[in-house]
Amino acid sequence: MKILLVEDDKETADYIGRGLKEAGHSLSIATEGRDGLFRATGEHWDLLIVDRMLPGLDGLDIVRTLRAGGNEAPVLFLTTLGGVGDRVGGLDAGADDYLTKPFAFAELVARVNALGRRPREVKAETTLRVGDLELDLLRRTVRRGEKPVLLQPREFKLLEYLMRHAGEVVTRTMLLESVWDFHFDPRTNIVETHISRLRSKINREGVGELIHTVRGAGYSLHAAA
Amino acid sequence: MPLPRFLRTTSFRLTLLYAGLFCASVLILFGAMYWAGTGFIADQIDQTAASEIKEVQTAAHGSSLADLQKTVADYAANTPQGVYYLLLDKNNMKLAGNIPSVEPILGVRSWPAHDEGGTFKGTAHEVRGLGVVAPEGAYLFVGIDAYELEEMREMVARAFLVGLLGTVVLALVSGGIMSVGLLRHVETISQTSREIVAGDLSRRIPVRGSNDEFDHLAGSLNAMLDRIENLMTGLREVSTDIAHDLRTPLTRLRQRLELARAGRSVDELHQALDQSIIDVDSILETFAALLRITQIEAHTRATAFASIDLSAMLADMVETYASVAEECGQILVGKIASGLRIQGDRELLPQLFSNLIENAIRHSPGGTEIVVAAALVAAGEVAVEITDTGPGIPADMWEKVFQRFFRLERSRTTDGTGLGLSLCAAIANLHGAAITLSDNRPGLKVTLQFPPDQTV
Repeated sequence: MKILLVEDDKETADYIGRGLKEAGHSLSIATEGRDGLFRATGEHWDLLIVDRMLPGLDGLDIVRTLRAGGNEAPVLFLTTLGGVGDRVGGLDAGADDYLTKPFAFAELVARVNALGRRPREVKAETTLRVGDLELDLLRRTVRRGEKPVLLQPREFKLLEYLMRHAGEVVTRTMLLESVWDFHFDPRTNIVETHISRLRSKINREGVGELIHTVRGAGYSLHAAA
Repeated sequence: MPLPRFLRTTSFRLTLLYAGLFCASVLILFGAMYWAGTGFIADQIDQTAASEIKEVQTAAHGSSLADLQKTVADYAANTPQGVYYLLLDKNNMKLAGNIPSVEPILGVRSWPAHDEGGTFKGTAHEVRGLGVVAPEGAYLFVGIDAYELEEMREMVARAFLVGLLGTVVLALVSGGIMSVGLLRHVETISQTSREIVAGDLSRRIPVRGSNDEFDHLAGSLNAMLDRIENLMTGLREVSTDIAHDLRTPLTRLRQRLELARAGRSVDELHQALDQSIIDVDSILETFAALLRITQIEAHTRATAFASIDLSAMLADMVETYASVAEECGQILVGKIASGLRIQGDRELLPQLFSNLIENAIRHSPGGTEIVVAAALVAAGEVAVEITDTGPGIPADMWEKVFQRFFRLERSRTTDGTGLGLSLCAAIANLHGAAITLSDNRPGLKVTLQFPPDQTV
């Protein structure tokens, strides 16, 4: 993916840059707000990573200006520690996702991948399928092969999210935000608990596991190869 | 108190303005009195002149000019001082009278005081009189010395001067007294402020109990000072606590890194690095929690508030945490009335409830029953109770646990930032909700009382 990073802190920029290049992305860095906006509008980018606080032009203003000009490139917003209201502000301005500094590298890569693959227009699917697992969005039912699986509403939402991002790595934080609408770090392992319950419910004797744990990163749902 | 200072006060300026207004009204009042009084006296004099003429005419009996001439001469000779008679024939020749001849003008006429023509030599006063037609085209005039008019004028002027002087003196004295009184209150307030600026944060403005504007002002200022002192104390405590609380993990981190440097195998090194990242994360977590509390406390209430379906939110919470509790061998149940709504922040409220439920789960042993209950109480308020049957918290700690970095185990060996309940208190505070702890016999009961949702 061709990614533009607008970040004024050199250390952070290097950290993000090195990691994303290793993950196979091509990365350009702008260290100043105006320059960032100029380059963002100048060429086509698969993804923009924009810091909230920038010299010259504020991150929020960059995103707002881009959206006002009809630029639809996905934007990942970087915010600072503990910012109450920053998330809402960033999303309101037109960002697609946000990440609070400091973040684990796996978290950044997972979000970059998710954003890069996300089609701008979500198709109106009624059924999600991964292997022999089938989720009916209209009737809100789940089947594994021929066997119906009974899920709690929250488990259904969790499975739906995993299936929509099948093949991708989704992190614990991404799940907390999307499935539970929790924008903080709970002190108990609610994600782990619900994943393990979901696993046991959709598990079928003799067939491989569908939900895989990605060590140090999160989970990934995909049919056994 | 220096004189120029109180002369510069607002109240003194107001006093001057009012004194001016009073003087103007005194002037108008006396003007009206003067006008009405002199008019009345002039009328009286004119009537006297008219009746005098009638008397002369009556005394003359007949209608001949000769009779009249004799009568007028008689009257003029025997008149008391201050009454003047004059009879002129049709050629303006003086026939009788005690004044020189004047131009024969009919009707009421008057001469100012100190008449320059020298007609009325005997008086320094104004003279008013009446001229009428006498038989054979003659002119009969009777004039009266209007000394009463003069007296009236002088009296009014004297009264006016005395009244004016009284008004001015009264206004200035009362204004001065008011200004001095006002200045004394203001001086008390600024003296207190100076002492507070100089570092004595415990000083307060004295309230005199008179329940006037100054007491109200003193009350408001004192409330503000209380808040400032609280914040300052909080800040000082937090700075100390941060220093204390972060020194331990930072020291540990440093030791680990030093050991890792001396380490031999790559595995050892990796292990040390992993552990270090965990340490740093926990330090960052503390910072994040602190920042969040600070930001929530600085939050203005209305910004992100909306009407929240509290029943649904709590039911979600119970559903989410029921399985976590089950993993720990506990039972989590919800007893939530339906249709409860409050005004709140959609992002912060889940953190509040989640923190409280997690506290119950983490600090209670297996077999504990945790209940999340919510119901409408009197006056539209919504009460949320989170109870457990765990070990509970001693009553003397109920207040303290909301302080930052306060932990029941002083050793600080268990994980956790010691900021969870402070964060809860901050969020509850933002929502105008009272958060209280009480004994669940056994266990702990946390009660949140939300104000009524005004929008429904």
